[in-house]
Amino acid sequence: MAILNQKRSKVSDQIPTASMADIAFLLLIFFLVTTVFPKDKGLSIVLPEEQEVVEVSQKNILHLIIQPTGVVEVKRGESTQIQTVSPSEVEGIWRQDVAQNPNLIAAVKTHPDAAYKLMVDVLDALQVAGAERISLQVLEN
Amino acid sequence: MAIKGGGFERKSKASQEIPSSSLADIAFLLLIFFMVTTVFRTDRQRAIEWPAAEATQKIDEKQKNILNIWVERDGSIFMNDQPYTIEEVSDVVGPLYAASDRRLVISVRGDREVPYRTIDQLQKELVSAGVVRVVFATELEQRVTRERR
Repeated sequence: MAILNQKRSKVSDQIPTASMADIAFLLLIFFLVTTVFPKDKGLSIVLPEEQEVVEVSQKNILHLIIQPTGVVEVKRGESTQIQTVSPSEVEGIWRQDVAQNPNLIAAVKTHPDAAYKLMVDVLDALQVAGAERISLQVLEN
Repeated sequence: MAIKGGGFERKSKASQEIPSSSLADIAFLLLIFFMVTTVFRTDRQRAIEWPAAEATQKIDEKQKNILNIWVERDGSIFMNDQPYTIEEVSDVVGPLYAASDRRLVISVRGDREVPYRTIDQLQKELVSAGVVRVVFATELEQRVTRERR
Protein backbone atom coordinates (compact mmCIF):
# COMPACT_ATOMS: atom_id res chain seq x y z
CA MET A 1 0.00 0.00 0.00
CA ALA A 2 2.88 2.34 0.70
CA ILE A 3 4.08 1.91 -2.88
CA LEU A 4 0.71 2.99 -4.26
CA ASN A 5 0.80 6.25 -2.34
CA GLN A 6 4.09 7.24 -3.91
CA LYS A 7 2.71 7.09 -7.45
CA ARG A 8 2.87 10.58 -8.95
CA SER A 9 -0.20 12.23 -10.45
CA LYS A 10 0.08 12.52 -14.23
CA VAL A 11 -1.85 15.81 -14.29
CA SER A 12 0.51 18.77 -14.59
CA ASP A 13 0.27 21.36 -11.85
CA GLN A 14 0.89 24.21 -14.35
CA ILE A 15 -1.74 26.08 -16.32
CA PRO A 16 -1.25 25.19 -20.00
CA THR A 17 0.03 28.31 -21.74
CA ALA A 18 0.76 26.85 -25.15
CA SER A 19 -2.63 27.89 -26.55
CA MET A 20 -2.38 31.43 -25.21
CA ALA A 21 -0.77 32.66 -28.43
CA ASP A 22 -3.56 31.08 -30.45
CA ILE A 23 -6.20 32.88 -28.37
CA ALA A 24 -4.41 36.19 -28.70
CA PHE A 25 -3.94 35.85 -32.46
CA LEU A 26 -7.58 34.85 -32.84
CA LEU A 27 -8.66 38.05 -31.05
CA LEU A 28 -6.15 40.07 -33.06
CA ILE A 29 -7.46 38.76 -36.38
CA PHE A 30 -11.04 39.27 -35.24
CA PHE A 31 -10.42 42.94 -34.47
CA LEU A 32 -8.39 43.47 -37.64
CA VAL A 33 -11.22 42.09 -39.76
CA THR A 34 -14.10 43.83 -38.01
CA THR A 35 -12.51 47.27 -37.68
CA VAL A 36 -13.74 49.74 -40.27
CA PHE A 37 -11.75 52.89 -40.74
CA PRO A 38 -14.22 55.53 -41.80
CA LYS A 39 -12.84 57.62 -44.59
CA ASP A 40 -14.82 60.63 -45.62
CA LYS A 41 -15.12 61.30 -49.29
CA GLY A 42 -16.84 63.78 -51.50
CA LEU A 43 -16.53 66.77 -53.78
CA SER A 44 -14.48 69.46 -52.14
CA ILE A 45 -14.95 73.14 -52.85
CA VAL A 46 -13.59 76.29 -51.31
CA LEU A 47 -16.20 78.81 -50.24
CA PRO A 48 -15.47 82.51 -50.65
CA GLU A 49 -14.56 84.58 -47.60
CA GLU A 50 -17.30 86.81 -46.28
CA GLN A 51 -17.59 90.13 -48.15
CA GLU A 52 -15.14 88.89 -50.75
CA VAL A 53 -16.45 90.28 -54.01
CA VAL A 54 -14.63 89.61 -57.23
CA GLU A 55 -15.56 91.52 -60.36
CA VAL A 56 -15.61 89.22 -63.35
CA SER A 57 -16.14 90.23 -66.91
CA GLN A 58 -19.37 88.78 -68.32
CA LYS A 59 -17.54 87.22 -71.26
CA ASN A 60 -15.59 84.99 -68.89
CA ILE A 61 -18.68 83.49 -67.28
CA LEU A 62 -20.42 80.31 -68.30
CA HIS A 63 -23.86 80.35 -66.72
CA LEU A 64 -25.28 76.94 -65.87
CA ILE A 65 -28.87 77.26 -64.69
CA ILE A 66 -30.30 74.12 -63.09
CA GLN A 67 -34.08 73.82 -63.27
CA PRO A 68 -36.15 71.57 -60.95
CA THR A 69 -37.00 69.34 -63.91
CA GLY A 70 -33.35 68.33 -64.23
CA VAL A 71 -32.48 70.28 -67.36
CA VAL A 72 -29.46 72.55 -67.40
CA GLU A 73 -29.68 75.81 -69.30
CA VAL A 74 -26.32 76.96 -70.60
CA LYS A 75 -25.87 80.67 -71.25
CA ARG A 76 -22.56 82.06 -72.38
CA GLY A 77 -21.63 85.48 -71.02
CA GLU A 78 -23.78 88.28 -72.32
CA SER A 79 -25.39 86.29 -75.09
CA THR A 80 -29.09 85.66 -74.56
CA GLN A 81 -29.02 82.38 -76.41
CA ILE A 82 -29.92 79.47 -74.17
CA GLN A 83 -28.82 75.92 -74.82
CA THR A 84 -30.69 73.18 -72.96
CA VAL A 85 -28.64 70.13 -71.98
CA SER A 86 -28.60 67.31 -69.43
CA PRO A 87 -26.17 67.40 -66.45
CA SER A 88 -23.90 64.74 -68.04
CA GLU A 89 -23.35 66.93 -71.12
CA VAL A 90 -21.90 69.76 -69.03
CA GLU A 91 -18.49 68.05 -68.99
CA GLY A 92 -18.15 68.25 -72.79
CA ILE A 93 -19.41 71.84 -72.89
CA TRP A 94 -16.89 72.94 -70.27
CA ARG A 95 -13.98 71.23 -72.06
CA GLN A 96 -14.99 72.83 -75.36
CA ASP A 97 -15.46 76.33 -73.93
CA VAL A 98 -12.40 76.37 -71.68
CA ALA A 99 -10.22 75.49 -74.67
CA GLN A 100 -11.35 78.73 -76.29
CA ASN A 101 -11.20 80.84 -73.13
CA PRO A 102 -8.81 79.68 -70.38
CA ASN A 103 -10.14 82.36 -67.98
CA LEU A 104 -13.62 80.88 -67.96
CA ILE A 105 -15.57 80.68 -64.69
CA ALA A 106 -18.51 78.37 -64.19
CA ALA A 107 -21.46 80.01 -62.45
CA VAL A 108 -23.79 77.25 -61.28
CA LYS A 109 -27.20 78.73 -60.48
CA THR A 110 -29.59 76.24 -58.98
CA HIS A 111 -33.32 76.77 -58.70
CA PRO A 112 -34.36 76.71 -54.99
CA ASP A 113 -36.73 73.81 -55.63
CA ALA A 114 -34.26 71.71 -57.59
CA ALA A 115 -32.98 68.56 -55.89
CA TYR A 116 -29.51 68.68 -54.33
CA LYS A 117 -28.39 65.75 -56.49
CA LEU A 118 -28.83 67.82 -59.67
CA MET A 119 -26.38 70.38 -58.35
CA VAL A 120 -24.00 67.57 -57.36
CA ASP A 121 -24.31 66.09 -60.87
CA VAL A 122 -23.32 69.40 -62.48
CA LEU A 123 -20.54 70.03 -59.96
CA ASP A 124 -19.29 66.49 -60.57
CA ALA A 125 -19.28 67.02 -64.36
CA LEU A 126 -17.31 70.25 -63.90
CA GLN A 127 -14.79 68.64 -61.58
CA VAL A 128 -14.32 65.68 -63.91
CA ALA A 129 -13.64 68.17 -66.71
CA GLY A 130 -11.00 69.79 -64.51
CA ALA A 131 -12.81 73.03 -63.71
CA GLU A 132 -11.39 74.82 -60.69
CA ARG A 133 -13.17 78.14 -60.67
CA ILE A 134 -16.74 77.33 -59.84
CA SER A 135 -19.28 79.63 -58.25
CA LEU A 136 -22.34 78.12 -56.56
CA GLN A 137 -25.38 80.33 -56.38
CA VAL A 138 -29.09 80.04 -55.94
CA LEU A 139 -31.27 81.15 -58.83
CA GLU A 140 -32.99 84.43 -58.07
CA ASN A 141 -35.71 85.88 -60.20
CA MET B 1 44.09 9.23 -24.05
CA ALA B 2 41.22 7.67 -25.90
CA ILE B 3 38.27 9.82 -25.13
CA LYS B 4 35.13 7.90 -25.67
CA GLY B 5 33.55 8.98 -28.93
CA GLY B 6 36.20 11.64 -29.46
CA GLY B 7 34.02 14.18 -27.65
CA PHE B 8 31.48 14.15 -30.47
CA GLU B 9 28.70 12.68 -28.39
CA ARG B 10 28.38 15.78 -26.27
CA LYS B 11 24.86 17.14 -26.59
CA SER B 12 24.21 20.75 -27.57
CA LYS B 13 22.60 22.72 -24.81
CA ALA B 14 20.52 24.82 -27.27
CA SER B 15 16.97 23.61 -27.59
CA GLN B 16 15.81 22.24 -30.88
CA GLU B 17 12.49 24.01 -30.62
CA ILE B 18 11.74 27.61 -31.49
CA PRO B 19 10.93 29.42 -28.24
CA SER B 20 7.21 30.11 -28.36
CA SER B 21 6.61 31.34 -24.87
CA SER B 22 6.91 35.01 -25.92
CA LEU B 23 4.52 34.57 -28.83
CA ALA B 24 1.54 35.38 -26.63
CA ASP B 25 3.22 38.56 -25.46
CA ILE B 26 3.80 39.68 -29.05
CA ALA B 27 0.21 38.94 -30.01
CA PHE B 28 -1.23 40.76 -27.00
CA LEU B 29 1.03 43.72 -27.67
CA LEU B 30 -0.31 43.95 -31.24
CA LEU B 31 -3.85 43.49 -29.96
CA ILE B 32 -3.54 46.31 -27.46
CA PHE B 33 -1.85 48.53 -30.06
CA PHE B 34 -4.75 48.14 -32.48
CA MET B 35 -7.35 48.57 -29.75
CA VAL B 36 -5.75 51.82 -28.61
CA THR B 37 -5.18 53.31 -32.06
CA THR B 38 -8.61 52.46 -33.51
CA VAL B 39 -10.92 55.46 -33.67
CA PHE B 40 -14.61 54.88 -34.09
CA ARG B 41 -16.71 57.60 -35.64
CA THR B 42 -18.43 59.79 -33.14
CA ASP B 43 -21.81 60.45 -34.71
CA ARG B 44 -24.39 57.94 -35.78
CA GLN B 45 -25.25 57.28 -39.40
CA ARG B 46 -28.47 58.97 -40.39
CA ALA B 47 -30.91 57.65 -42.94
CA ILE B 48 -29.99 59.57 -46.05
CA GLU B 49 -29.55 58.63 -49.68
CA TRP B 50 -26.17 59.76 -50.89
CA PRO B 51 -25.79 61.66 -54.12
CA ALA B 52 -23.34 59.94 -56.47
CA ALA B 53 -20.41 61.57 -58.22
CA GLU B 54 -17.57 60.34 -60.39
CA ALA B 55 -15.11 62.96 -59.16
CA THR B 56 -15.44 61.76 -55.54
CA GLN B 57 -12.17 62.14 -53.68
CA LYS B 58 -11.02 61.28 -50.22
CA ILE B 59 -10.80 64.17 -47.80
CA ASP B 60 -7.18 64.81 -47.00
CA GLU B 61 -7.70 65.87 -43.40
CA LYS B 62 -7.56 64.29 -39.97
CA GLN B 63 -10.77 62.82 -38.67
CA LYS B 64 -10.89 65.19 -35.73
CA ASN B 65 -10.85 68.21 -38.06
CA ILE B 66 -13.90 67.08 -39.98
CA LEU B 67 -17.36 68.17 -38.87
CA ASN B 68 -20.30 66.38 -40.42
CA ILE B 69 -23.47 68.31 -41.05
CA TRP B 70 -26.32 66.01 -41.94
CA VAL B 71 -29.22 67.36 -43.98
CA GLU B 72 -32.13 64.97 -44.08
CA ARG B 73 -34.74 64.84 -46.79
CA ASP B 74 -37.22 66.97 -44.83
CA GLY B 75 -34.54 69.66 -44.38
CA SER B 76 -33.73 68.92 -40.74
CA ILE B 77 -30.11 69.48 -39.77
CA PHE B 78 -28.02 67.36 -37.42
CA MET B 79 -24.53 67.91 -36.05
CA ASN B 80 -22.93 65.48 -33.59
CA ASP B 81 -26.29 63.67 -33.21
CA GLN B 82 -28.04 66.87 -32.12
CA PRO B 83 -30.80 68.53 -34.14
CA TYR B 84 -30.30 72.19 -34.99
CA THR B 85 -32.19 74.80 -36.92
CA ILE B 86 -30.42 76.24 -39.93
CA GLU B 87 -29.99 79.64 -38.25
CA GLU B 88 -28.04 78.03 -35.40
CA VAL B 89 -25.41 76.51 -37.69
CA SER B 90 -23.08 79.52 -37.80
CA ASP B 91 -23.27 79.90 -33.99
CA VAL B 92 -22.18 76.30 -33.53
CA VAL B 93 -19.63 76.10 -36.32
CA GLY B 94 -17.96 79.47 -35.65
CA PRO B 95 -16.41 78.58 -32.25
CA LEU B 96 -15.45 75.09 -33.47
CA TYR B 97 -13.73 76.61 -36.48
CA ALA B 98 -11.76 79.01 -34.30
CA ALA B 99 -10.84 76.18 -31.90
CA SER B 100 -9.52 74.04 -34.74
CA ASP B 101 -7.03 76.74 -35.78
CA ARG B 102 -8.94 77.30 -39.05
CA ARG B 103 -8.33 73.74 -40.14
CA LEU B 104 -11.93 72.59 -39.84
CA VAL B 105 -13.44 70.94 -42.90
CA ILE B 106 -17.20 70.76 -43.13
CA SER B 107 -18.61 67.63 -44.69
CA VAL B 108 -22.12 68.35 -45.94
CA ARG B 109 -23.99 65.08 -45.90
CA GLY B 110 -27.17 65.96 -47.67
CA ASP B 111 -29.87 63.68 -48.95
CA ARG B 112 -29.96 63.63 -52.73
CA GLU B 113 -33.56 64.83 -52.87
CA VAL B 114 -33.26 67.73 -50.45
CA PRO B 115 -34.23 71.04 -52.14
CA TYR B 116 -31.25 73.20 -53.06
CA ARG B 117 -32.76 76.08 -51.07
CA THR B 118 -31.67 74.35 -47.83
CA ILE B 119 -28.14 73.67 -49.07
CA ASP B 120 -27.79 77.28 -50.22
CA GLN B 121 -28.92 78.57 -46.80
CA LEU B 122 -26.44 76.23 -45.17
CA GLN B 123 -23.63 77.53 -47.38
CA LYS B 124 -24.51 81.10 -46.45
CA GLU B 125 -24.41 80.16 -42.76
CA LEU B 126 -20.99 78.56 -43.23
CA VAL B 127 -19.67 81.61 -45.07
CA SER B 128 -20.85 83.85 -42.22
CA ALA B 129 -19.08 81.53 -39.76
CA GLY B 130 -15.91 82.07 -41.83
CA VAL B 131 -15.57 78.46 -42.95
CA VAL B 132 -13.76 78.09 -46.26
CA ARG B 133 -13.27 74.38 -46.85
CA VAL B 134 -16.43 72.45 -47.55
CA VAL B 135 -16.91 68.96 -48.94
CA PHE B 136 -20.16 67.71 -50.39
CA ALA B 137 -20.14 64.10 -49.24
CA THR B 138 -20.94 61.76 -52.12
CA GLU B 139 -20.69 58.15 -53.08
CA LEU B 140 -18.27 57.17 -55.79
CA GLU B 141 -20.04 56.57 -59.08
CA GLN B 142 -18.38 54.09 -61.42
CA ARG B 143 -18.57 55.39 -64.95
CA VAL B 144 -17.16 52.21 -66.47
CA THR B 145 -19.83 49.97 -64.96
CA ARG B 146 -22.53 52.45 -65.91
CA GLU B 147 -21.43 52.57 -69.53
CA ARG B 148 -21.06 48.82 -69.88
CA ARG B 149 -24.69 48.29 -69.05
